[in-house]
Amino acid sequence: MAKLEGSFTVEDMKNVQINIGAVVKEEEEWDQPMGPFPKPQIATLRDWDFKILNRYRIFYAPADDTCTLCTFGPCDLTGNKRGACGIDMAGTCGKIVLVACLMGTCAHTAHGRHLYHWTLDKFGDMKFDMGTDILVTAPLTETIIGIRPKSLKDFGKALEYCEEQITQLLAATHTGQEGSYVDFESKALHAGMIDSLGKEICDMLQIVAYNMPRGDPNAPLVEIGMGTLDQNKAVLIAYGHNLAAGAEAMFYTETNNLWDKVDIGGVCCTAIDLTRIGEGMGEKKVPDMIGTKAKVAGAVGWWRKMVRAGIMDTVMVDEQCVWCDALKDCEERKIPLIATNDKILYGLKDRTNDPVDEIVDDLVNFRVPGVVILDPVKAGEVGVKTAIAVKPKRADIRNRIVLTEDEFKKLVSSCTKCNECAFVCPPHIRISNLMEEAAKGNLEPFSSTYEVCVGCGRCEQVCRQNIPILKMYEYANREYIRNQKFKMRAGRGPIRDTEIRAVGAPIVLGTIPGVIALVGCSNYPNGTKECYDIAKEFVDRGYIVVTTGCMAMDMSLYTDAEGKTIWEQYPGAFDGRNICNVGSCVANAHIHGAAIKVATIFAHRNHRANYDDIADYILSKVGACGIAWGAYSQKAASIATGVNRIGVPVVVQPHSVIYRRAFLGRADLPEDWMVIDARDGSKVRIEPAPEHMLYVAETKEEAMLMMAKLCFRPSDNSIGRMIKLTHYCDISMKYFGKLPDDWPVYVRHASELPLAWKDQMMKELEEKYGWKIDWKAKKIVEGPIRPADVSFDPTNIERKIRVRK
Amino acid sequence: MAVDTTKNPIPFEMAQIPGPEMAKAYPVKVIGAIIKKAKRPLLVVGAELFDDPVMFDKAIEIAKAKNMTIAATAHTIKGFIERGYTTNVYQIGLHPLTNYLRFKDWKGLDGQGHYDVVIFMGIFYKFANAMFSALKHFNRDIKRVSIDRYYHVNADMTFGNLAFDSAGYHEAIDELIAILKK
Repeated sequence: MAKLEGSFTVEDMKNVQINIGAVVKEEEEWDQPMGPFPKPQIATLRDWDFKILNRYRIFYAPADDTCTLCTFGPCDLTGNKRGACGIDMAGTCGKIVLVACLMGTCAHTAHGRHLYHWTLDKFGDMKFDMGTDILVTAPLTETIIGIRPKSLKDFGKALEYCEEQITQLLAATHTGQEGSYVDFESKALHAGMIDSLGKEICDMLQIVAYNMPRGDPNAPLVEIGMGTLDQNKAVLIAYGHNLAAGAEAMFYTETNNLWDKVDIGGVCCTAIDLTRIGEGMGEKKVPDMIGTKAKVAGAVGWWRKMVRAGIMDTVMVDEQCVWCDALKDCEERKIPLIATNDKILYGLKDRTNDPVDEIVDDLVNFRVPGVVILDPVKAGEVGVKTAIAVKPKRADIRNRIVLTEDEFKKLVSSCTKCNECAFVCPPHIRISNLMEEAAKGNLEPFSSTYEVCVGCGRCEQVCRQNIPILKMYEYANREYIRNQKFKMRAGRGPIRDTEIRAVGAPIVLGTIPGVIALVGCSNYPNGTKECYDIAKEFVDRGYIVVTTGCMAMDMSLYTDAEGKTIWEQYPGAFDGRNICNVGSCVANAHIHGAAIKVATIFAHRNHRANYDDIADYILSKVGACGIAWGAYSQKAASIATGVNRIGVPVVVQPHSVIYRRAFLGRADLPEDWMVIDARDGSKVRIEPAPEHMLYVAETKEEAMLMMAKLCFRPSDNSIGRMIKLTHYCDISMKYFGKLPDDWPVYVRHASELPLAWKDQMMKELEEKYGWKIDWKAKKIVEGPIRPADVSFDPTNIERKIRVRK
Repeated sequence: MAVDTTKNPIPFEMAQIPGPEMAKAYPVKVIGAIIKKAKRPLLVVGAELFDDPVMFDKAIEIAKAKNMTIAATAHTIKGFIERGYTTNVYQIGLHPLTNYLRFKDWKGLDGQGHYDVVIFMGIFYKFANAMFSALKHFNRDIKRVSIDRYYHVNADMTFGNLAFDSAGYHEAIDELIAILKK
């Protein structure tokens, strides 16, 4: 065949489809050229990672001193010794961190892959449309992959990319491969980025397919709390992170007009996602506003408390944050369980292809404790039918679940005060003291520690008297449980472009003091109340507060003096003095998305395949801080690591030291705080802002102080810095009783001093720190690390220099 | 008779079995002698003291007896301010403090140099344990001493578990103070 210029040959190939037209069309429709890093591989963004890791030193607190991953082992690595394969303790910690991040990344990405197949099977391909208020529709997909999806099918390309990266990353953890802990952490950051993309894929697919809110600040208020489930009806609980089967149960109930017979509630993220269905402005392929009929039973940390309280009649589990003993918990209480996703099968028989009535009959007559049904439609129907049919049969059992007064008293007296329980209790509750007081008729300690208890059940496992301690908690708190009825905002989905336009400048200049993101589990002693306290502190101070998942659920359980929950106290926009529930854990992607949108919509940065540039912008200019107050899972590890790679610091609670790793800055080393001024390429020493990237706080007070500090950015203007410094100092005065020691580090100009302490601070700067003050003009003449300069353009990336010196 | 601080030396959280190198439980007089001999010890005090406020007074006595710097982690500084003790007390998070401690070029909270012994008290068990672990592996020049009411597996020297014997624990700390004052 002749070869002509501008053409090419395809020889010996059959059934080949070449979609050049589609590529050209995409280029034409998107005004941004392809950036430097489409589909970055493991080492593509390594330079960016090293910039983060050189400033924020990798800190390891090993959870054990040995490595047992291969048959050379166990190897003693104490004191950073090397094992038989050559890896040292730091490398081993890095490897474990990477594996943990990959577990989380896989969980989200696999969830996305399941939803991809399921939504296309159920609804067919649908137009990917976020409505007229959201034009940067899939910010992470665009920034990482460099494509702008037009339909659900386009997310297949993003999924393929994620899956390839996960495979390559996991391969690096094999014995004898990567040995550098810094490179392990670079790989973990890569995994975290893939995790964020996986989450975006999940939420975008379900938003479109299930017509969820597309950035609606007024998403409906839905019911939350164990007391909202009507015990006169059968109660079906959908538990996990993948709404497919739970949604089908709702559709079946709606179609068959069964809402007067069954209440459908959810635990963990499936709960949030069920309450979002049908509330958007997209294609109406699902019943309109059906989500408001579902109830949020509670967060993952409450599962064992709920199951022991005897609330549910049938449970459908899907995937991710579902306890491994859910079947055992259910079986003991004759609650039929339906496993609906191949990631959790519990050894049960696969009944996917059996007739519905046959399966229901087996479950209702307790011939089997549970079944596997991998067809969500069938699982939904079986779930509803089983719940309704089994309810009368469970009446006796239900009564037996909750202790009688006599049983309670007998159990109280059987405690020998051996304190074995306190040795294994994560929050160290002195259960023997509770028993002692209960024996005297005082149940207050059981009540006041109810929320301190994380419901893990370790106390029951070690109790020599076999006392069902969680059951005793349920008895002592039965009235509280019965009355646990609150309202929460259904997940609103992404942040609108219009909202970003309104807050972009105030965030970057600092006049909105920061964006506080409360994400992940609140499975921490007293975590429910503390996450409410933290959210309230910051929303009252005018920060933008965003939240997702279990944190959003748990902060809904408290009210102000007027009986209003936090969702009723504040509006739901992405704005100062607002609080948004973005959605379930996968909706965390919209928080990344909002930060990207500040860069691309407000600052007009090209974000297409330009990850490091966007992350650099966020690190230098977007005052945001994440908090995971109770995080326990590997998903939380990958979420936080993904947030870190895009330049946002994260604070976690003290149990999170078991993640082993942190990224901590050294404020005492000026050389760690050098950035480039993009205007002329000069090197500028900045204040340590943000000082740390991943930080464990000992108490909520410390967490709040640190979060206020981690919202500082070098680009804050003087008014913004003054506002941020005011909150930092005020939180310190409120909870610590003094100004923070390092406040002078953040002062560049007299106008940045908080008004409340201005004179006192000026005096201190002069007397204690030797700064030169012009008292007549009330000006700082000499002393700050650098002067305030509103046009300062900090960057850590050399290619951003506009004019080279 | 002095309280026996060597009894019950099992990890306070039972599953915390790190590996071949585990802490030894010592009587107060030995731990007291080590602290007394230290050239530049640092007393690290955490927020659990708010649960047993008398311990603030005892921490101040320990620091005074040895002219020792206190690092008050989390919001613990408030307890010292309320008692009017503000000299030689620094507010710092346990996490950044441990990060600094692992680097040999760090100049200390007062800029006068690194520390040779760190003494933990009143810190949430799991967090303290992890920070001891960080030092155990990445800066073995610092001696890790716990005078907390828990057996701390990753310390060099620790008390056994006195978590359920408040009076005994107070007595042990008083004995320590007496040794340091001698």
